[in-house]
Amino acid sequence: MRLPRFEYLEPDDLTQALDMLASHKEDVKIIAGGTDLLVRMKNQLLTPAFVMSMKQLSGLSYIKNHDDTLTIGAKTTLADIVDSDDIQEGYTALAQAAERVGAETIQHHRGTISGNILQDTRCIHYNQSRFHRSGRQPCHKDGGKICYARDEGDRCYSTYQGDMAPALIALEAKVVLSKKDGKRTINLSDLFTSDGFHPFSIEPDELLTEIILPKQKNNSKSAYQRLSYRSAIDYPITSAGVMINSKAEKIKKARIVVGSMSRAPLFMVKASETLAEKSLTDIDAFKEAAGIAMDNAGTFAVHNAGSTLEYRCDMTFVMVLKALEQAAGIEK
Amino acid sequence: MSDYNLIGKRMPRVDSRSKVTGKVRFTADLNLPGMLVGKVKRSPYAHARIVKIDTSKAKALPGVKAVVTGEDTEGVKWGVFAYTRDQQFIQMEKVRYIGDEVAGVAAVDEETALKALDLIEVEYEELPAVFDPLEAMASKGPLIHDDFPDNINVHVNIDTGSVDENFEKSHYIREDTFVAAEESYFQAEPYAVVARFDEEDCLEVWMPNGGPHMKSKPLSNAFKIPLHKVKVKKIAIGGAFGGRSEICPVDYICALLAKRTKAPVKIQFTREENTIATRQGHSMIVTHKTGVDKEGQVLARETTCYMDGGAYSSTGPIATSVPFLSMEQAYRMGSVRYNGYRIYTNKPIRGMIRVHGRAFACGVDTQLDMIADHLSIDPVEIRLKNSRQPGEYTSTKSQVSSCAMDETILKAVEKSKFKEKWGKLPAYHGIGIGTNSVQTGFPMGIRGGSQAFIKFNEDGEATVMSGVVDNGQGNDNMLVQIAAEELGLLPEDIHLVSADTETTSSDPGSYSQVSTFVGGQAVQVAAKNCKKRLFDVAAKILKVEPDTLAAKNRMIYVKDDPEKSIPIKKVVRIALLNFTSVNAQGGYWPKVDMKREWVSNPFGQMCEAFSFGTTIIEVKVDPDTGQVEVLEATAVQDVGKALNPLVLEGQFEGSIAMGGQANLTEYHDWKDGRVLNPTMLEYKLPLACDMPPKINNIIVESVDPKGPYGAKEAGMSIAMSAAQAYAAAVSNAIGVYLDSYPLTPDKILAAIKKKQEEEAKQGAKKARVN
Ligand SMILES: Cc1cc2nc3c(=O)[nH]c(=O)nc-3n(C[C@H](O)[C@H](O)[C@H](O)COP(=O)(O)OP(=O)(O)OC[C@H]3O[C@@H](n4cnc5c(N)ncnc54)[C@H](O)[C@@H]3O)c2cc1C
Ligand code: SF4
Repeated sequence: MRLPRFEYLEPDDLTQALDMLASHKEDVKIIAGGTDLLVRMKNQLLTPAFVMSMKQLSGLSYIKNHDDTLTIGAKTTLADIVDSDDIQEGYTALAQAAERVGAETIQHHRGTISGNILQDTRCIHYNQSRFHRSGRQPCHKDGGKICYARDEGDRCYSTYQGDMAPALIALEAKVVLSKKDGKRTINLSDLFTSDGFHPFSIEPDELLTEIILPKQKNNSKSAYQRLSYRSAIDYPITSAGVMINSKAEKIKKARIVVGSMSRAPLFMVKASETLAEKSLTDIDAFKEAAGIAMDNAGTFAVHNAGSTLEYRCDMTFVMVLKALEQAAGIEK
Repeated sequence: MSDYNLIGKRMPRVDSRSKVTGKVRFTADLNLPGMLVGKVKRSPYAHARIVKIDTSKAKALPGVKAVVTGEDTEGVKWGVFAYTRDQQFIQMEKVRYIGDEVAGVAAVDEETALKALDLIEVEYEELPAVFDPLEAMASKGPLIHDDFPDNINVHVNIDTGSVDENFEKSHYIREDTFVAAEESYFQAEPYAVVARFDEEDCLEVWMPNGGPHMKSKPLSNAFKIPLHKVKVKKIAIGGAFGGRSEICPVDYICALLAKRTKAPVKIQFTREENTIATRQGHSMIVTHKTGVDKEGQVLARETTCYMDGGAYSSTGPIATSVPFLSMEQAYRMGSVRYNGYRIYTNKPIRGMIRVHGRAFACGVDTQLDMIADHLSIDPVEIRLKNSRQPGEYTSTKSQVSSCAMDETILKAVEKSKFKEKWGKLPAYHGIGIGTNSVQTGFPMGIRGGSQAFIKFNEDGEATVMSGVVDNGQGNDNMLVQIAAEELGLLPEDIHLVSADTETTSSDPGSYSQVSTFVGGQAVQVAAKNCKKRLFDVAAKILKVEPDTLAAKNRMIYVKDDPEKSIPIKKVVRIALLNFTSVNAQGGYWPKVDMKREWVSNPFGQMCEAFSFGTTIIEVKVDPDTGQVEVLEATAVQDVGKALNPLVLEGQFEGSIAMGGQANLTEYHDWKDGRVLNPTMLEYKLPLACDMPPKINNIIVESVDPKGPYGAKEAGMSIAMSAAQAYAAAVSNAIGVYLDSYPLTPDKILAAIKKKQEEEAKQGAKKARVN
């Protein structure tokens, strides 16, 4: 398939990049590894006038360990994340998430962390060729007024299937968004709008430049679990990123995030809270939390990511439970 | 038999090196001077009347060289059989599926061609569409094809008689229904065609094909030009699996554009087009009713099968018969009644595919396991009780000569330790067996035989000409191996000219498992004839009788006195100096019953040989997720004779992937006639990392009396039996007989849950009673 025509921009440094974004705004799309963007462009889901590459912004490729944070440059590849001992040890969920993205040979080396976070939401009725989408009315995400995934759906329910964000949100990540005249740091969870049509709150002139992971106090362990039909080159149909913060075998804080079940990763507040002060070996408590997470996530999901809805809901329970057990160090 | 030089040896394929180094060229790699880009305008509606097509804007676009519609065709309809001609190459009146061809464009580049497609204005009047075969049969809406009432495209009825009487005599009868979704081939190479008319107005065309002669005839009909003017050329092919057998409308469209523009034209499919606009495998609903005696011997079987055929006939009559044939070859049945219906729906066209009839084949084996369960005999025993034996006739009166079905079962059982494991494995751990039989060839009338020509060059090397095509399975190597063996040359001395309709004679093609048996045999006969000519000359020089000679390593020598020898090259040169040519021809025509016909007379000798295969699979199922981990696969096939075990093992392993592993994940998902998973990302083709960690390949050689060196079909019997073995193993692991394929985790988990609920209910009942 052909890429539609566009003008290619290749800024030499960050300042130039931010200038370009400021002047082209909505007309420009940023390309990091391109493994999400180019597929969508080939399907003509978007036809930007300008494509700005991050190729020369080598300053944005790093993993740095500070006193109370770990920072990751936006352009860091998934392969570098998998290879990082700091991440493998301190932020296991993130490394586990990166390991399972796409095909090791392609997505891990071309794919970047910023591109992974900012990949578009997906839907089997939308991520299709122009031919497939012709001969029927366009759906909401395609600029129309109907939804093929949910009967009488009055909005878009496309699913966020990225692997890294659920893990990052469990780890309380923040992101730095830079633009010409400044920058802002927000919680990663706030980057998501929960709007299938427009999934991110990033502005067209903003560049995601850095991911900040806080260092957790106490004993902190995280895990990521995801499910797909195939062992590689397969988006998750449900996933769970969890972090458990404990002291003297008691859980002080838990964070459960469910992915691939809604328009954004779902931070399961209620399910997470039930785990406070529970013992690290309390499997019943884990099951209860997983059950709540499943029930809550189930209300968001629509049948647009393959498999069946029932199966994806059931598996949300299993993924959350497995992740919790792993983070709590319960061997199975 | 061990005195062969090359036959039976593990020989790396002649084409391996060029393929792994990327040197080989496929159709899409061809670039001819002045070549244009062709594109096809397809229907976005599943069923609609074409009201008007306006191509004027497209034609006016700079860079567009030709636009063709149905108006530009001779209106010729395609169908494999005279009674199934239902498909025009470009639709004029009606479109019948999303993807149906309505126009073609040739332009200077792809961008212009695509723009031109957008500028073609087609006015449609949408018609009610049907996507389910049972609904299509009952539909009161407009027929998909006017002359096929109830949308029934093909009805195959086979009845051996005595079925009802035998059911009455049966000790145990059960009836079960099995369903399977459609699957696709996902050949590594998406479809592509290059066509041009040469200076003598001959059509030259390159495309992946399952038999070049099966492409040239319909093209000659469509253009109303003699056969010799259609030159289907040889080109490397990246997989067929049954999906490249017939003419494809774009073959015609590409040629028509080339004719109009007087320039070469290339049409290259997207992955989506390859999925929707070539062929798919049929989805089906199959009911088997089987009656057995106390020992589990099948006395009567009645099978009814509804196949979703999609919009056009394609190989309909064959497709509707083959699943039945595989069953009747593999298993003896006292009597059988078959009603197979192929139904038109507004979905892509269905053709032959490797595991042709997942629901059918898996159903037969699953039901046998159920019956064995009821009679308390094990799955191996019930298979051995019903397995085909050499010398017998199938239900439709084909005699089976070589047959080592029992040996394949026993060897697989031994290698996999089935007896030690069956019923003794831990929970959610299972083992299952599948057996199947595949025919070596179909009755194909005047195209049933193959002829080969061999000529020697003055340097002692030989050129072999054969119509056999290599789709990737290694046929080229097979031909070279046979020719080199017979002529006493080395493989590198053989120059192969094949799969080219200008220089090679008619051949049945590679889609009825007959390439080695018929095409290979033709080369063997030709090489033997050629060798005789060499020996006549050599005998005079060596002053011995020709029948005392043998050839090996480029030398002709006296069998009892190998020192007495002469190089083949020298013999060729002496022959030429003595006004004798050194070339020969040879052919092979299988002795099948020419009166046998798929629908009107489905009885008589089907082909000369049948293969038999057994696969045993061991799995572990995760009871939390329903996901299957395959621990070990054992594949055993009676291939007659293994000409090249290395290639065969590759075929076996490919068959485990395409037949077995695919039965866990591969199916198409739909929305109103649209395929929701047309690409490799969404269609869950197993990857290398999904394959079983251990595959045991065992070759059984029954040495077929008619096959070349005793060879017959190889590989397909594994693909079929693997599908069955996967179904059996998963069923065994979870303790529920599964009846819907593929065996996706959601279905497996649902079955586990249902069983647990039933057990809980029963437990509660028992508790109450106590
Ligand atoms: C076959 C296949 C399988 C895949 N499987 C998975 C999977 O299993 N899990 C998964 O998570 N993903 C998967 N992906 C999606 C994708 O490959 C990965 O998410 C990858 O990490 C994206 O990174 P990238 O750098 O290539 O993104 P790009 O394609 O370059 O960018 C993605 C989006 O982010 C925007 N963007 C990128 N960087 C920035 C930035 N710094 N600031 C602002 N905007 C930015 C781009 O404009 C674009 O909209 C798959 C893709 C394919 C084609
Ligand atoms: S969820 Fe509905 S609106 Fe959104 S992409 Fe899918 S079909 Fe379109």
